[in-house]
Amino acid sequence: MGYGMVIDQQLCVGCSACTIACKAENNTPVGFNWCDKITSTQGTFPDVRYEYISTMCNHCENAPCVAACPTQAMHKDPDTGLTLHDPHKCIGCKACIINCPYGVIKYNWDTPHANWREGDRVAEGCFSPRELVEEVGGDGTPHSNPERDSTYPSMRARGTVEKCTFCDHRLAEGLEPACVEACPSGARQFGDIDDPDSEISKLLVKHGGRGLREELGTKPRVRYIRDYGPQRRT
Amino acid sequence: MNLSSLDMNTNINLSDFMTPRWALIVLGLVIGGGVGLYEMFVGHILATTQVVVWTTPLVTYFFLALASTGISLLLAYGLLAGNNTIIDRTRYLLVLDLALLIGGFTALATELGSIFNMIYIMLSPNPSSPIWWMGNFYTVKLVLVAIKLLRELLGIHGTVDRPLAWATLVVAAAAAMTIGAALGTAIGRPDYQGVFTSLLMLGVALASGPAWVVLLRRDAELASHINGITRQLAGLVALFLLLNLIYDVRATTEGLVGWVNPIMPLLFAATAIAGGMVPRAAAALTLVGSFWVLFSFVITGQLWVLGANTSFFGEVSSFSPNLAEAGTIVLGLSVAAALYNLGRMFLLEHGNASPTAAAAAT
Repeated sequence: MGYGMVIDQQLCVGCSACTIACKAENNTPVGFNWCDKITSTQGTFPDVRYEYISTMCNHCENAPCVAACPTQAMHKDPDTGLTLHDPHKCIGCKACIINCPYGVIKYNWDTPHANWREGDRVAEGCFSPRELVEEVGGDGTPHSNPERDSTYPSMRARGTVEKCTFCDHRLAEGLEPACVEACPSGARQFGDIDDPDSEISKLLVKHGGRGLREELGTKPRVRYIRDYGPQRRT
Repeated sequence: MNLSSLDMNTNINLSDFMTPRWALIVLGLVIGGGVGLYEMFVGHILATTQVVVWTTPLVTYFFLALASTGISLLLAYGLLAGNNTIIDRTRYLLVLDLALLIGGFTALATELGSIFNMIYIMLSPNPSSPIWWMGNFYTVKLVLVAIKLLRELLGIHGTVDRPLAWATLVVAAAAAMTIGAALGTAIGRPDYQGVFTSLLMLGVALASGPAWVVLLRRDAELASHINGITRQLAGLVALFLLLNLIYDVRATTEGLVGWVNPIMPLLFAATAIAGGMVPRAAAALTLVGSFWVLFSFVITGQLWVLGANTSFFGEVSSFSPNLAEAGTIVLGLSVAAALYNLGRMFLLEHGNASPTAAAAAT
């Protein structure tokens, strides 16, 4: 078994709901996202084409980050095929970042959500960030999702890396990743990419499918079908 | 083991440290140590970004560790080839080797985010990782050099010397090449070019290690002996750089930024040519060139922005080191200088040290 994702570029509207849902679900710090985007604009006005590619950890079969990690902090889960990170083993060497060809692994140079530790109030009578966290609760930030903690710390440590886990905590509960659930156009499909009878495998059979930078041999498990942009009608 | 049997100078007073040299070293330790401790335990002050993550601390580590490798290789060569000029300076070379390597490790420590998790290098090893091999090779090298120094201080010499020299030779060469592999195996980064990186690192090690000896030691016999080696190796690095420059100019590889400045091969060629006339100046130039090569190579390989990072950083990033980055260089060099000078005072400059060992280390 191996989890994978198919993103139908024809259905994607570039709304970034996936990015926002991921941020809320996984408590990612200010400044970077686990689920992100690559955008490009090509051509000259008025013949301009815009492309939006939603991107995240590709959970590669031949994951270069896993091969490069000296402590096996970055590892493949044998049951699910997910590329996961154990922050307790991470020495913060950043070899995974250097070796990931997709730029989707991020490093916590500072303590995540440090701004929520500030004790100064903007105005008298307001909560300070710290007081708000104390009042509302939450792990480091009032927006933190306690369910995230079940498989990965919702407050990551300074000096370690972090990346998309395909919401492994949700998968364990039989749910889909938050980005898939949040997509308003159903552009994201998730399932067992190794099972030829799964819906995503059928989509790949029907439309083909391509991964990012496949020439590197990483065998990414996030696959893209069809093209972003208006469908040509004949 | 009885420590009193160690051949070392125990007649050192506090007043021996009241010198301008030690004042400078302590200043460097305070400034560099302050930067390192702040970065490790308080907040982020280095000039890194989410795109350029390996910067001056790692470059400083490479620079000092490779120089240490070069000295190990020089010493191993001397012993295995029966070169008495080098063998007679064994203790000096071991002290310098250790000092540079520990200085490098100190700079590296400021680079690592979770230094206390280092135990997992042993508990959860990953042999497919070049960094794992690099860490282990350099740790083994440190132990081997320490054993050799201890045996030297105890006056133990015998049949183990040659196997130890062979072991050091193999481990040191492998260590330098795995530094290259840590960069050369990074796929998707066009400026880190495969096996070339391992050869480049070995070349820099062979050129910079002996250069430190020529620069630091007022020892005409050794200097003239090593200077020939240094010049040839500088010439080799110049050739490497020239080939890479030609490749960069001719390459059509998408994303190649190109890290070789045309002055780099000229600089090494100049040191190879001028080394006979002004050896110490040429050695200093070799060291400056080595640091420049390593800095340019490590940084440039990260400037081509990957994937989603292009949203914030554009297609190609830029990088300028800040004062804190300079502080990590100061830290590595200060630790190396402190250990080197302690070694001189306690192990080299006294009557019982081997006749040439006490000579003129500056």
